[in-house]
Amino acid sequence: MIEKNIVGQSVPKVDAFGKVTGQTRYAADLDIAGALHLKVLRSKVAHGLVKKIDTSRALKIPGVTAVFTHADIPGSNSYGIIVKDQPVLTNKVRFKGDAIALVAAEEESIAVKALDAIAVEIEELPPLFDIQAAMAAGAPAIHDNGNVLTVTKIKRGNVEAALDQAAAVVSRRYTTQRVEHGYIETEAGIAYMENDMLIIKAGTQNPHYDRRDAARVLGLPINKVRVIQTATGGGFGGKLDISVQCFLGLAALKLGRPVKIVYDRQESFVATAKRHPFIVDYTSVAAADGRLLAVKARIFGDTGAYASYGPATLTRAAVHATGPYEVPNVDLEAFCVYTNNSFSGAMRGFGTPQIAFVFESQMDLLARELKMSPLEIRRRNVLRPGSITATGQELTSSVGIAKTLEAAWARALEVMPGLGGDCR
Amino acid sequence: MAAFHLEMKVNGELVAVDIDPGMRLLDVLREVLHLTGTKEGCGEGECGACSVILDGELVDSCLVMAPQAYGKEVVTIEGVAALGQLHPLQEAFIEAGAVQCGFCTPGMILAAKVLLDHNPNPDRQEIARAISGNLCRCTGYSKIIKAVEIAASRIKAEAGAASD
Amino acid sequence: MKKRGFGIGCMSYGIGNTGLPNPAGAFVDFLDDGTVIVLTGCADIGQGSSTILAQIAAETLGVAFEDVVVVAGDTGVTPDAGATSASRQTYISGNAVFEAARKARQEVIAGAAAVLGVPPEEINLKNGRVWHGEEPTSLSIKEVISKCRSEGILTLGHGWFNPATTRLDPATGQGIPYATYAFATQVAEVEVDTETGIVEVKRIVAAHDVGRAINPQNVEGQIESGCSMGIGYALLEEVVVKEGEIQNPAFSTYLMPTAMDVPEVYPIIVEELEPTGPYGAKGVGEPALVPTAAAITNAVADALGLRFYDLPLTPERVVAEIKKSREKKEDDGQ
Repeated sequence: MIEKNIVGQSVPKVDAFGKVTGQTRYAADLDIAGALHLKVLRSKVAHGLVKKIDTSRALKIPGVTAVFTHADIPGSNSYGIIVKDQPVLTNKVRFKGDAIALVAAEEESIAVKALDAIAVEIEELPPLFDIQAAMAAGAPAIHDNGNVLTVTKIKRGNVEAALDQAAAVVSRRYTTQRVEHGYIETEAGIAYMENDMLIIKAGTQNPHYDRRDAARVLGLPINKVRVIQTATGGGFGGKLDISVQCFLGLAALKLGRPVKIVYDRQESFVATAKRHPFIVDYTSVAAADGRLLAVKARIFGDTGAYASYGPATLTRAAVHATGPYEVPNVDLEAFCVYTNNSFSGAMRGFGTPQIAFVFESQMDLLARELKMSPLEIRRRNVLRPGSITATGQELTSSVGIAKTLEAAWARALEVMPGLGGDCR
Repeated sequence: MAAFHLEMKVNGELVAVDIDPGMRLLDVLREVLHLTGTKEGCGEGECGACSVILDGELVDSCLVMAPQAYGKEVVTIEGVAALGQLHPLQEAFIEAGAVQCGFCTPGMILAAKVLLDHNPNPDRQEIARAISGNLCRCTGYSKIIKAVEIAASRIKAEAGAASD
Repeated sequence: MKKRGFGIGCMSYGIGNTGLPNPAGAFVDFLDDGTVIVLTGCADIGQGSSTILAQIAAETLGVAFEDVVVVAGDTGVTPDAGATSASRQTYISGNAVFEAARKARQEVIAGAAAVLGVPPEEINLKNGRVWHGEEPTSLSIKEVISKCRSEGILTLGHGWFNPATTRLDPATGQGIPYATYAFATQVAEVEVDTETGIVEVKRIVAAHDVGRAINPQNVEGQIESGCSMGIGYALLEEVVVKEGEIQNPAFSTYLMPTAMDVPEVYPIIVEELEPTGPYGAKGVGEPALVPTAAAITNAVADALGLRFYDLPLTPERVVAEIKKSREKKEDDGQ
């Protein structure tokens, strides 16, 4: 038997010393001699075809080394953790912020000037700014396969039959908002060639994925790209996608010079993923004793212009739609829908904070309908060892929801004067 | 543009550099003096990642034009530890688990230092107010407040011991 | 008038990717002087994974925490550990490091068994020393590793772990999406100003079943973090988009919680051990946030007797609902 003497101890973090002294170097802190500065030209149009990009004026500005467009991508001009639907530099814009051109210049200020000197002709297409419009028959397709990217279905038992035994049925529509991750460090990185090896250093939550898609986009074998994660100033899901990595790789590879890019706060807001806004229609069905009999839900998530982690977010929302409760009959469908909004992706919880707001509101509504306390209705429904989930999984061990409910309540009674009594 | 001759004291040392007068104090610290412990988070004085101490007061160095620092004394995170000895705030931040991603940490420690320099005995509310110009997205602030409390009590104990 | 209310939010959260393989690998090198290098692709973004992985390696190898160095997130030298997402790294990379360390440990134990002339299963490694049963021997781990090296044996190990899941049936969604789940209950207390619509969160009690808490302070840090982000989600934050354009792409217009917005949080760690987790651990990163907005909105409903169906509960929205309900009462002749 091993004595547990380190696991379970609150040892200080291994990286704390460098952080409290200011020694830790984040991506924007990296200095590299002779580095060119990169800036991205982003679309002001939500939906349209890029007909012409004239870079000649920009290239005449002293200090501008290169301007890249979709024509300069050596490999496949598409990346994405789940669906490869996002171009590095696009010839079809799908949201206000889509990347069209990349400037490399001796100074950051020169690169900014060059952005203004690039002329882009766009043939505008009708933009789709909400889920309903995007799902409507005859809506223009944002991507080739249409605007409904994925539909996740979870079906078990018989919801209609459960309605016959119901003592309470609560149906409501909920909406949740688009949210920014708000990490304090914006996206940044540097890249350079070391012989024939491309080195990319950037803040990221998934360096091995970055390597895969950078290699894909640049047409390089995976082992010729080395991605090194720099100290990363927060992520919360927002640094799971490619942001600066392919820009850096493209310019370093093409120019054979070190390059650097740092997003300012506005670019970080505009060009990276958000939490999916949801629309949820939800019906809870319960017996007189408070036991949940059935849940029916239709969940719609606006994933914006690109898939990012959208399918995973909507699937997870569906799988978690019954909450930590045992529900024998379910009819759940989740739709991940493209629009011409800035794209949505992973953010801490992948759709579960959205759906928790919904199912927990429903629990309280059911409790009121059944004249039961919110605490009691939860006690009667929480998952226990042996419970079957909505996907038919039997939970066998480590099912601590009942313990957390009792522990939280007991502590709340101590620290929250005024709590107590039947209805609370 | 004519260069501006900037003289100031940074972390106790005299610094003289010729700079573009359009530069922010933040840029001079990071790009000219390579003191990258001072971070840029928003560029508009909202997040406090670029906080430094200017003549004893906490400022957002992204809102201070470099020439404004002429003749003044600047303290950055690199100047908080004295001769390799961590400041009690730095020790307490490590110990209390007040550091996660660390990007806000330099500004946060400097904000707390200014507070403790003026008010060695702050209550929870005063600490929260003093660091309310510094955004942290990771910790939920609880352990940062705890760290400042720990540091305050240690500084007081040390001062008490010294005066005995 | 200020009205007080209380609300509960419960949640479960599947650890790792949904119904998909999502493995992680790790290498452990047990060096001549008894120190350790862990190579992992796991990106520490501030949540503390490198610290947790060092603890798991130190525990497994019987060395001091300080003797472990974790090299993370460099594709040139570290194996793929997948994403730092889905609250998966403690469970999945933790298992990978545990497995890699276990293999390195086996080499040392075999070497020690040969020296001591006892069966390997009676040998243990603790505090830098070789133990025989419950007794420390005169042999140090360092000495055993030196001996192994002199005989051409390297004391290193690799490990990988993939949680036991199945793909969900496309028509019915039936299957095993996750190998294990974290659970939580949060109780929020709020005070609502019925004139201004401002909701103040006074306290949050947050009980989280994380399996084994490898580092309790880190777990608390995640819980407090989640509560803060959850307050923002419930009450403050919204990216406003008009005609596809973000209207508030700045911290001056997109408001996030400051130290003045967060209440006293009371974290409670519930350790319902997971048999397949490293030392029984599951995860906490996302669960920390998941039930917070639910608990807060239920507390607001309790305070006002009014339910909100749209997030966030901004002061404008709260005031508008209060006004609407007053008008409705007047119309109903109440």
